[in-house]
Amino acid sequence: MTAVPLPQRRPRRFRLRFNPWHLVLAPVSVILVFPFFWMLITSLETQPESLHFPPVLTPHQLRPANYPDAFNAAPFSHFFVNSIVVAVVTVICNLVLCSLAGYAFARMRFFGRTTLFIVLMATLMVPFQVTMIPQFLIEKWLGVHVLASVGINHIGALILPNAATAFGVFFLRQFFKTLPLEYEESARVDGARRLTVLWRIVLPLSLPALATLAALTFLDSWNSFLWPLLVVNSQDGMTLPIGLETFQSAHATQWPLLMAANVMSLVPMLIVFFAAQRYFVRSVAATGLGGA
Amino acid sequence: MRKFVSPLLAVGLTVLSLTACGTNSTTGSAGGKVTLQMWEGYTGVEQTTFSHLVKEYEAANPNVTISVLPVNNDDTLTKVQTALAGGVPPDIAYLYGSWAPNVAEIPQVVDLSSVVKRPGVNWDDFFVGERDVATVGNKVIGIPALVDNLAVVYNKTLFAAAHLTPPSPDWTWNDFAADAQKLTIASKKQFGTAYVTPESEDAVWHWEVLLWEAGGSLLTAGNKAAAFDSAAGLRTLEMLRTMAVVQHSMYLDPSDNEYANLFNSGKIGMLVTGPWDLSAFPNVHYGVQIMPSFPGSAGGHQTISGPDNWVIFNNGASHVSAAENFLLWLTAPAQVRSFSLATGDLPTRASVAAAAGFDQEMNKELPGVSTFIENLANVKQARPQIPTYPKISTTLANMVVSVLVGSSQPQAALTTAANQVNQILNAANAGG
Amino acid sequence: MASPPSTLRRRWWHRDPGDVGGNPAGRAARRFVSSEHVGGWAFAAPAAVIIVLFGAVPIVWSIVLSFEQASFSPGGKFVGLANYREMVHDPTVRQAIAHTLEYTALFVPLTMIVGMLLAVAMNRKIRFISLYRTAAYVTMAVSTINEALIFLWLFDPSYGIVNYVASLFGLPQQPFLNSPSQALGVIVVMTVWGWTGFAVIIYLAALQGIPQTVLDAAAMDGARPWATFRRITVPMLSPASLFLAVWLTINALQLFDEVYVSTQGGPVGATTVIVYYIYEQGFQYFNIGYASAIALILLIATLVVTAVQFRAGRRYTHYRS
Repeated sequence: MTAVPLPQRRPRRFRLRFNPWHLVLAPVSVILVFPFFWMLITSLETQPESLHFPPVLTPHQLRPANYPDAFNAAPFSHFFVNSIVVAVVTVICNLVLCSLAGYAFARMRFFGRTTLFIVLMATLMVPFQVTMIPQFLIEKWLGVHVLASVGINHIGALILPNAATAFGVFFLRQFFKTLPLEYEESARVDGARRLTVLWRIVLPLSLPALATLAALTFLDSWNSFLWPLLVVNSQDGMTLPIGLETFQSAHATQWPLLMAANVMSLVPMLIVFFAAQRYFVRSVAATGLGGA
Repeated sequence: MRKFVSPLLAVGLTVLSLTACGTNSTTGSAGGKVTLQMWEGYTGVEQTTFSHLVKEYEAANPNVTISVLPVNNDDTLTKVQTALAGGVPPDIAYLYGSWAPNVAEIPQVVDLSSVVKRPGVNWDDFFVGERDVATVGNKVIGIPALVDNLAVVYNKTLFAAAHLTPPSPDWTWNDFAADAQKLTIASKKQFGTAYVTPESEDAVWHWEVLLWEAGGSLLTAGNKAAAFDSAAGLRTLEMLRTMAVVQHSMYLDPSDNEYANLFNSGKIGMLVTGPWDLSAFPNVHYGVQIMPSFPGSAGGHQTISGPDNWVIFNNGASHVSAAENFLLWLTAPAQVRSFSLATGDLPTRASVAAAAGFDQEMNKELPGVSTFIENLANVKQARPQIPTYPKISTTLANMVVSVLVGSSQPQAALTTAANQVNQILNAANAGG
Repeated sequence: MASPPSTLRRRWWHRDPGDVGGNPAGRAARRFVSSEHVGGWAFAAPAAVIIVLFGAVPIVWSIVLSFEQASFSPGGKFVGLANYREMVHDPTVRQAIAHTLEYTALFVPLTMIVGMLLAVAMNRKIRFISLYRTAAYVTMAVSTINEALIFLWLFDPSYGIVNYVASLFGLPQQPFLNSPSQALGVIVVMTVWGWTGFAVIIYLAALQGIPQTVLDAAAMDGARPWATFRRITVPMLSPASLFLAVWLTINALQLFDEVYVSTQGGPVGATTVIVYYIYEQGFQYFNIGYASAIALILLIATLVVTAVQFRAGRRYTHYRS
């Protein structure tokens, strides 16, 4: 009978109770979050205390009633709903259309590909102020001649111009190019169509990029101010950023209410980010790369 | 990320002409009923008061509905121009007076010259500063919606602590500078006064009134050339330089709104500002006094005013006449009075301001505002109503700020600015 | 690679024009990289139509405007190249270009470095990591106005925290936004802060593509963390870095919002960047034609810069394919 060797013990390294990275990340996070923290504090102050400079960070009197007051000062529930609808639809459209286009630019060769890509990129290089009036006119024309719900003062007009962005196409193209060709090759060798390859293979591998694009598109849509300002002509159709201006006038900015409204409008975005950031970091198991 | 809050915009009606999309929209005017689209930027108390007035008018005039859209005043011009390009302008819009010369060039803007001459309107009852801004050339492009002016708001507590006598109506800029110096306590980070440094019109109009008081003028008669490069101009810039650069008694506000909060926190002794800021000082015992004068100058005590206009756009005859009637009612003495009393805004009509007991009643709501009302009589001139004024304004802002931050000397700054202004005027007059 | 059985169904759009029998291996290879004109267009078209309609058409519009003397009154005069000639003689244009380039040269590398370091730090499973990451995203979510308000306060010459901390170290008080030489620097700091979250997101997504096996192998070979970072992580992040460099540059060249909300181009024009000048010309002076001309030059310049970046990127980025 041979002796069964005892399992070797690896020498134990001294382990801290907490990860030293906290020492770096915690202060950095505080710096990054500081403006939001300031907004939060101001939103709970009374008007006289908010009219201080330097801003009061330890108010003597808190006024949580600022939140319901802000909410009731304007039809914020309408604004929220409008913003959410526009943002969600815009995100979905972008994910679909930009995936298709991004994949085409990344993997397919077609006549005029480079030229088209340059044209799309060029649209990113001109400030919005220069393009907004022609865009308004185009939208108006579409509303009259093609589909009423995308015309001026309709919610479709807020969605359509941003249903696909050159940024999304650019971003996904770059990402798709980083994926190893082997997966797609083997699928196509087995006779799969491009669409199937995209749907079954490429997209599942691209969850971090898709989640990233979704979060960024949501953010862009949520904060979009100038275009809704031009296109919306009724208070019911307004989106949040325009509604926020209700508290800001040349004459007397109601800081606590304004900050309360700002905080309320930030929260959905934070929720979106908090939820999406799980997908930003993909588990190794999901990729099938582990152990390969 | 790229489409964040963006500001004023104004784009070419040339686009309009290119696309030929411009037809007047008729919003709901059937069978004598008219719906007016009105864009205004009232908030808070002003908004509620205004809504009541609108309802009152609608009750008395069942054929007219007024659909009000809140638009931040800074953005109204942009929205109006975009709408014009698309052929769908509002019926009435609230537009800043500083935009007036360029607004006058819009073809759809209704000329109200004959309207304001109607009996009972009493056009001269509006203060001269307002009429100057509503009139461009021969056209009356709007009816005054708001008036204000600049005066000095001072902190009584700080004055007492520094053993200074509060300002009197005949004080001079020498008194002001001396007070400012005494009120400046570096260890407490307390300043005598403040000035804004972002290069907007705000930095310019605070200086222009100084120029007028010093006896100077901005441009020559007929707006042909710069006239501020004079002894008067030099005097104003030297004074600013003394306070900002030499004595450090002037807080240079890089933000354009910190100064108000600083004053409210008791860190600034005196501010040159307007009645709109009074409600931002709940924590301070403040007093209001008219601006000081320059000793020995013919300008005397003057102030500057920044009125805004209600502008009517042509959406068809029925809309125009309905809009005119509404605006004439809105700006009639009775409504001006009730709006002023409710909101604390200065009355746009002299008769309302002069009415017995009006000042006192206003002061009860908003202490100190009566001085601003009386100060309206000191509005003797207005800024040049020419389309190139915005460019000139940037040049002047550059000049003033460069002296304030110490990067140039007053005479050099004046000369450079005058040359630039002359170039601008020449280019405009040549190009036609 | 073995050639595929000829019984495979071949979609008609996969067929290579030159594919008429012949070398099976070559056929397979050619088919994989074969041109797919219709397929490619079919995929790209929906997005392209929207982007072209709402992006490219307006640009053409504004190019037309740039040849006109346009302002408020209708009927702009066609003036040919007059706007462009004026640009050449306009000293403010030159200054605006200089300021924009200065800003871009500072902003882009700083944001990338900060973003990369933070993303690497945040790419680990420790407690509260979701909170730390969300903190990074908050910087993107805060609107420009609030961001500017905060930084105006932090960098206030008299009451700001930065000068206060400087005074603790005996350093002189700086005028920051009241100084023509320092104002642009403050805007750089403000915008780097605002874009950090974006860079972190991009790099985090890219870090997921680095197989843990590679990093483990390096660790086992005794490589220290910094060496692993330099030799493995950074090169493998190069596609993301290219993307970020391009996108951040495009945005830096179009800096506007922060300048508008804080310095309005001052003091003494120190923060007048190109798009701010376009705004001034177009929307304060109502010279739409001139503004459009400057915008067109900006577009061309950006295209050139981006093309150069892509070209350089080809040499330095490693795609795993």
